[in-house]
Amino acid sequence: MSIKYAILGILAKKDLHGYELKAGFDATIGEFWSLNFGQIYSTLDRLEKDGLVTHDRQSQDKRPDRKIFSITAEGRTELTQWLSAPIARVRALRDEFFIKLVFMDKDNPAAVLALIEKQKTLHLKHMNKLTRRKIALKTEADNPDALTTELLVDVGLFHAEADIKWLTHCEIKIKAALGGKE
Amino acid sequence: MIELRHAGKKFRQGTRQIQALRDVTLVIKKGEFLSIMGPSGSGKSTLLNLMGGLDQPTEGEVFLDGRPLHGITDNEVTLLRRRHIGYVFQFFNLLPLLTAAENVGLPLLLDGLPFSQVKPRACALLRQVGLAERTEHRPDQLSGGEMQRVAIARALIANPAVLLADEPTGNLDSHTSEEIFLLLKSLNNQGQTIVMVTHDPKAAAYGSRIVTLKDGAPAQDISIGEHES
Ligand SMILES: Nc1ncnc2c1ncn2[C@@H]1O[C@H](COP(=O)(O)OP(=O)(O)OP(=O)(O)O)[C@@H](O)[C@H]1O
Ligand SMILES: [Mg+2]
Repeated sequence: MSIKYAILGILAKKDLHGYELKAGFDATIGEFWSLNFGQIYSTLDRLEKDGLVTHDRQSQDKRPDRKIFSITAEGRTELTQWLSAPIARVRALRDEFFIKLVFMDKDNPAAVLALIEKQKTLHLKHMNKLTRRKIALKTEADNPDALTTELLVDVGLFHAEADIKWLTHCEIKIKAALGGKE
Repeated sequence: MIELRHAGKKFRQGTRQIQALRDVTLVIKKGEFLSIMGPSGSGKSTLLNLMGGLDQPTEGEVFLDGRPLHGITDNEVTLLRRRHIGYVFQFFNLLPLLTAAENVGLPLLLDGLPFSQVKPRACALLRQVGLAERTEHRPDQLSGGEMQRVAIARALIANPAVLLADEPTGNLDSHTSEEIFLLLKSLNNQGQTIVMVTHDPKAAAYGSRIVTLKDGAPAQDISIGEHES
């Protein structure tokens, strides 16, 4: 349900038409989360029905009117409340990898260990990419979103790090369990 | 640059023998930033010590720029080390009675150069690591991150062919660590060859290549260079 709040957040700064809204979304969080126009317009529809957003028509030469969206007072209250509330539910473990682990052949640990190894390599490569992005951000002094983007890159790094640590932990436990049997 | 050929290291402990490293063949190229990862006891520090001439292999060979680091006298190793290898440790290893500038200049002072001749370069290096204002401070007047910067400047004083770092941020918080990695990365961008041992994937990700060790032998060699995306 955060698309709703992302849109409210962007409109809280400036009234925008749909196209600009998508551009604003892409510029702030697009690196981590991509939305299509369909999702933006259907969310805007719902926000208008709930009275959180309203629109004005702007006439254009030789083209149909265009809608300029703005946030309402109720919209601002809702956004402020949402911004200050912590997230009740922690991240769900719905990763495809967990499902693979559950259905892995328990009598063939070599395959599980090989999968863990491959997964770790992938995570490391991903972290390397994020790190390079982060270093590049240091040189974008004029980019007003550099800090938030860096913080988002950081959360990606922390999550990947946690995953690697957990995978290493799995590796050690699986090996220890094997050692016990032999 | 650095080349290991079937290098191994055995330690004797009483009657027991520990094979800390086995059959390591590895080439580190000039300009590379190599991260070495692996669980505790997998031989990371032992490997770095062989590369830095702090220890000799019991099997195989180690070369630095074509010069053997194995089978030479302690004196020869000490000279090679002081002139061609920069070493950064987890616990900084600064001398408490010396100022930052004196600590940085120490390797050259040990080589017999007078401090007056060493000081300008020591201060320039301190400026490069962001400590222009701290040249006269003693280690107990510096934060952990600042001490590690001094240690990095000291490691660079002799223009080493390679900078070796063993868990350089093992004692620092995550933001301070990041600043140290960014410093290492910028040195690497200026051409400095770096080998860093770490068990922290966030640290390893600054490298352009990651080698993982398992039970004393390389398990994976992941090249992530600047070219791939
Ligand atoms: N001087 C020594 N004498 C005897 N055994 C040693 C010596 N140095 C290292 N070892 C042994 O060699 C193995 C590898 O040690 P090493 O210090 O290289 O591991 P490491 O990967 O650096 O571990 P950590 O992440 O804990 O620093 C260990 O089993 C260790 O006990
Ligand atoms: Mg070690």
